Amino acid sequence: MSTTRTWLRHNLFRTRRDTVLTVVFGLLALWLLYKTFRFIFVTGRWSIIEVNLQLLMIGRYPEAHVLRLAVTVVVLALWGGLLAGFIRGRQVRSGRMTAADSKLSRARVTDLVERLWIPLALVVLLLMLTSTPGPWIMVGLAVAAALVGRLVGPFVGRLRLPPIGSLLVVFVFGAIPVVLYFYVVTAVGFDGWGGFMLNLFLAVCSIILCYPLGVLLALGRRSGLPLVRLVCTTYIEVIRGAPLFVLLLLANVALGFFVPDSLAPATSTRAIVVFTFFTAAYMAEIIRGGLQSVPRGQIEAAKAVGLSPIRQTGYIVLPQALRNVIPAQIGQLISLFKDTTLAGIAMGLFDLLQVSGAITSQEDFRGQGLIAETLTFAALMFWVVSYTMSRESQRLEKRLGVGIR
Amino acid sequence: MTEQHDDAAVFDDATAMTGTRDVMIEIEHVDKFFGDFQALKDINLKVGAQEVVVVIGPSGSGKSTLIRCINRLEEHDGGRIVVDGTELSNDIRNIQEIRRETGMVFQSFNLFPHLTVLDNITLAPRKVRRMPKAKAEELGMELLEMVKIPEQAGKYPGQMSGGQQQRVAIARALAMNPKVMLFDEPTSALDPEMIGEVLDTMKELARSGMTMIVVTHEMGFAREVADRVVFMADGQIVEVGTPEHFFESPREDRTKLFLSQIL
Ligand SMILES: Nc1ncnc2c1ncn2[C@@H]1O[C@H](COP(=O)(O)OP(=O)(O)OP(=O)(O)O)[C@@H](O)[C@H]1O
Ligand SMILES: [Mg+2]
Repeated sequence: MSTTRTWLRHNLFRTRRDTVLTVVFGLLALWLLYKTFRFIFVTGRWSIIEVNLQLLMIGRYPEAHVLRLAVTVVVLALWGGLLAGFIRGRQVRSGRMTAADSKLSRARVTDLVERLWIPLALVVLLLMLTSTPGPWIMVGLAVAAALVGRLVGPFVGRLRLPPIGSLLVVFVFGAIPVVLYFYVVTAVGFDGWGGFMLNLFLAVCSIILCYPLGVLLALGRRSGLPLVRLVCTTYIEVIRGAPLFVLLLLANVALGFFVPDSLAPATSTRAIVVFTFFTAAYMAEIIRGGLQSVPRGQIEAAKAVGLSPIRQTGYIVLPQALRNVIPAQIGQLISLFKDTTLAGIAMGLFDLLQVSGAITSQEDFRGQGLIAETLTFAALMFWVVSYTMSRESQRLEKRLGVGIR
Repeated sequence: MTEQHDDAAVFDDATAMTGTRDVMIEIEHVDKFFGDFQALKDINLKVGAQEVVVVIGPSGSGKSTLIRCINRLEEHDGGRIVVDGTELSNDIRNIQEIRRETGMVFQSFNLFPHLTVLDNITLAPRKVRRMPKAKAEELGMELLEMVKIPEQAGKYPGQMSGGQQQRVAIARALAMNPKVMLFDEPTSALDPEMIGEVLDTMKELARSGMTMIVVTHEMGFAREVADRVVFMADGQIVEVGTPEHFFESPREDRTKLFLSQIL
């Protein structure tokens, strides 16, 4: 009690000026808090979200095929669980993690919940808003599938397969998301996607594609070959000099100059291409910073033990470089995720932001000024995902940094 | 190639080796420039198989540059360097071959911080020599036994003392089964109480018959282990001789001055 008192006096009420500032800002904060709570629990009319939840989440994906999305979510959960289990199994076998760390225990479940309580809370909130049992069943099955995958995963790594066998396993494993994509896309065509699902999908695809491109550009910019260096540097500088919004507009409009309409890819595909090329330029600069942070002695040691230039880069330089700039990389990827809303505006895609705007002019809600409610919902969705990415990246950074420096 | 010298003649000829040995490293008329600055001036040195050569000299005299030229961490500008019959050229395959035959230990250890101790040691045998993982790890553990820290295999370099790290670095270099080991001031970055453990490892290595070139300021080590001592100053080899000759009756004034400063 007395320590709290000293702390308060010391930090908030030391001088008269401090006291005035504390009171003013304290009142301001209270007022904001009050207004926010009032908006959420009293004045906000959230029925617009409840009614349009499906539209907000998956756009106009046809009712008849919604089952495909559910199947996809469950299979992806199984896939992710398998991968996590496989990786954990390898870590245990290589001695980087003890078997006890890998046992299902109360502590680990608590840890997982503590780590992911915000997205979990969001999922529960969304489920509460649904009026049909379908989503509940889907989430239940997905959780079960992830658990099964996690438990089976370690055994996959223990299979003694011939090289062709393991190649096949890797291939099938890698093909699953692609097959799922076609399974989902054949129902409506890519341009029929919408809602938050579209934002997530655009972001995931662009992230996966831009990462290797960014690494190559960063390496190219430091290459010993002048031509490679010139090409990479020019690319990076040109892309970084152009506003993303303009590039998206260009991809929407100007592609017609080069390719006949019948051959032009779907708008969403174009958006992915733009996001990929745009973010790759920024990632390249971030990764280049990471490359520069690796001490010269590391490369010398790699040379001295006889590693070839490619292996020096792949085993010694890149792993350290990428680890050193995890926060900046994740920041860029989060920014990419949020920028997917620009694709809605620039290219007329029906993403979460566009849905949020559109539903306020539905017959039932027109003229009621509900844009604040829908935008709040959209912001919440983006915030939860971004914040989770950020937190997980900090965890990753810690784990990769074991015993370093 | 075998050369014979009588003992008296050895000290006149800076390129000579003690006794009768196969030549492991031949350095002939080597120059090295950094821009306009000449760091090595017409260096001639032959090192025989199983010989231990200690290189001493004041700071900036070119000791590091010399041994870094041997495994092409620096490119020499004139003359030739032959390691175990392979001449260093710009051919990357030649360079790779020589690097496989030579291990190097650095002043600042340069262990790979993102790999465990065992992975530090097994990486090169597995990737360069294509050794199966199990076999490489067996070798890695043997080497860790040799440097007396097998219990550290699963740790990361950042979790160990300097002396332990340097011993891992020695094990890492030995894992490629090199014919020559190059040491660039391996104990200079260590706290005094850890210097002994690293020097002990090096002495053991010398006794096992490894060819070694050691840049060091540890004169005790030079006296005890070296077959020959090379004194460098201003990019040149000033004097070469057995430890007895070198410490008891140095000939050059430059050497005498240096010894008087450090002993
Ligand atoms: N990369 C470089 N660029 C320019 N000059 C260099 C470079 N490396 C070394 N030199 C110069 O070459 C000379 C010899 O350096 P070297 O590192 O071989 O000395 P050394 O005998 O190992 O000294 P020390 O005992 O301090 O390690 C020094 O004058 C140094 O400034
Ligand atoms: Mg030096």
